[in-house]
Amino acid sequence: MSEKTTFDPFDPTGMIKTMRDKGMEAWAKAMTEAVNTDAYSEATGQMLDTWLKTSGPFREMMQKLVAQSMAEANLPSREDITRLAERFTNLEMRLDDLDAKFDECLTLLRAGGSSKKKQKSS
Amino acid sequence: MTTSNAEANADASANGAAIPTPSDIASAAMENLTKLDRFNELLNTKAPIALTPKRCVWSLNKAKLYRYTPVVPEDQLKPVPLLLVFAIMNRPYVLDLRPGHSFVEYMLRQGYDIYLLDWGIPGPEDKDLKFDDYALEYLPRVVRKLKAITGADEFSMLGWCLGALITTLYAALRPDDGVKNVVLLTAPLDFADREAGGFVKWATDPKFNADRIVDTFGNVPGEMIDAGAKMLKPVENYLGSYIGLWERLDNPNSVEAWHAMNTWVRETIPMAGAAYRQLINEFYKENRLMEGTAVIRGETVNLSKLTASLLNVIAESDHITPPCQSERIMEKIGGDDHTVLRVRGGHIGIMAGRGAEKNTWPHIDEWLAARSS
Repeated sequence: MSEKTTFDPFDPTGMIKTMRDKGMEAWAKAMTEAVNTDAYSEATGQMLDTWLKTSGPFREMMQKLVAQSMAEANLPSREDITRLAERFTNLEMRLDDLDAKFDECLTLLRAGGSSKKKQKSS
Repeated sequence: MTTSNAEANADASANGAAIPTPSDIASAAMENLTKLDRFNELLNTKAPIALTPKRCVWSLNKAKLYRYTPVVPEDQLKPVPLLLVFAIMNRPYVLDLRPGHSFVEYMLRQGYDIYLLDWGIPGPEDKDLKFDDYALEYLPRVVRKLKAITGADEFSMLGWCLGALITTLYAALRPDDGVKNVVLLTAPLDFADREAGGFVKWATDPKFNADRIVDTFGNVPGEMIDAGAKMLKPVENYLGSYIGLWERLDNPNSVEAWHAMNTWVRETIPMAGAAYRQLINEFYKENRLMEGTAVIRGETVNLSKLTASLLNVIAESDHITPPCQSERIMEKIGGDDHTVLRVRGGHIGIMAGRGAEKNTWPHIDEWLAARSS
């Protein structure tokens, strides 16, 4: 009983706990409702778009700079690695196609083998 | 001084509130420091999750197909294997969260031969992957391999979240591939109702420019998707979860569950750019799947061609995929064996929460078992 009424100055979440006890549920509900409004959707959409639009040129500049430095240092760029990875994936697809054909052959061989056995036994 | 302190304490005790002594304060401080230490540890470490034994039986690019080691004798295995297809922007091991509380573990005990498709983490080279690729390039290959391994002509599919969308596309476009049973969990399929909550309001706002996001980043960063999901319930996700943990620190079961879930939640992965663009522009904004205008690799998706037996599991308190987004498919699909299962709980909670073992898993098993012989 006494523990509950004693203020504990060393509880790091004491303040937050008290706040929650008093109105966190209402706060959560209000926030959930707020983020579900048209105004919020419009504002976040607009903010995100503006940020992407304005930061775009800087990002492009950085990318060009990095690509240039990599080329000068005779190192492959991100695009080079990406192209290589794409080729690997295509190769993997070919291998998977071969694997499929191999599985088909095995199935046919097994079917053929079992029918031969049947013929022999008859 | 000592006497007056003692007297004050005695008075306070008589009134029900003791004034803490220095030793009380010191022990409270120590207790809270220990708690804080544990709290930090839980926030910054990974719980041992996804421990059910499995082996990789197929891989392509980042995708991997795993087969879980059956726990019942071979002759008691259900003849129709079960393929699990999770979403593309989270790790799939939420289906096998922690020992003693894992959907996979539970279903293995019921005798299912379980395969899990892990889409992997897309790299910059995968930015052009679309739902077309997931549904008609990867899934048919997975199904082929699954059939080759098991020798079965028919199989069941369980898709969760965007995995349910991919499963729906596949089952409608390739109904003759042997899909016997389809289980959809919290499937985001119908975006007609803008007031339903979830992402639909944000994603369908004219100011929300998915093209610019994709053009900027290539793949959509996992952190961005995670922040979006958390902002749907900001107080609960950014505060409530941590306060709850602090208060339950002396409950090992509760802490273990929180730690496992947090480990899963923290591992955010990017989403392939083209798939994101398609999701927002074609599915969310134009609702093409329900309107019958979705075209996947040149083929129009006709939901009436989905004739497999279907169990549609809807989470009643789902704030990510509100129930109305999963309901209308029942009017559109073909076949005559359809069941809707409504479960109390949220998007993830119905499968990975405390009540899942009682309220969800047995119902899925019961429905599937009757159709897996």
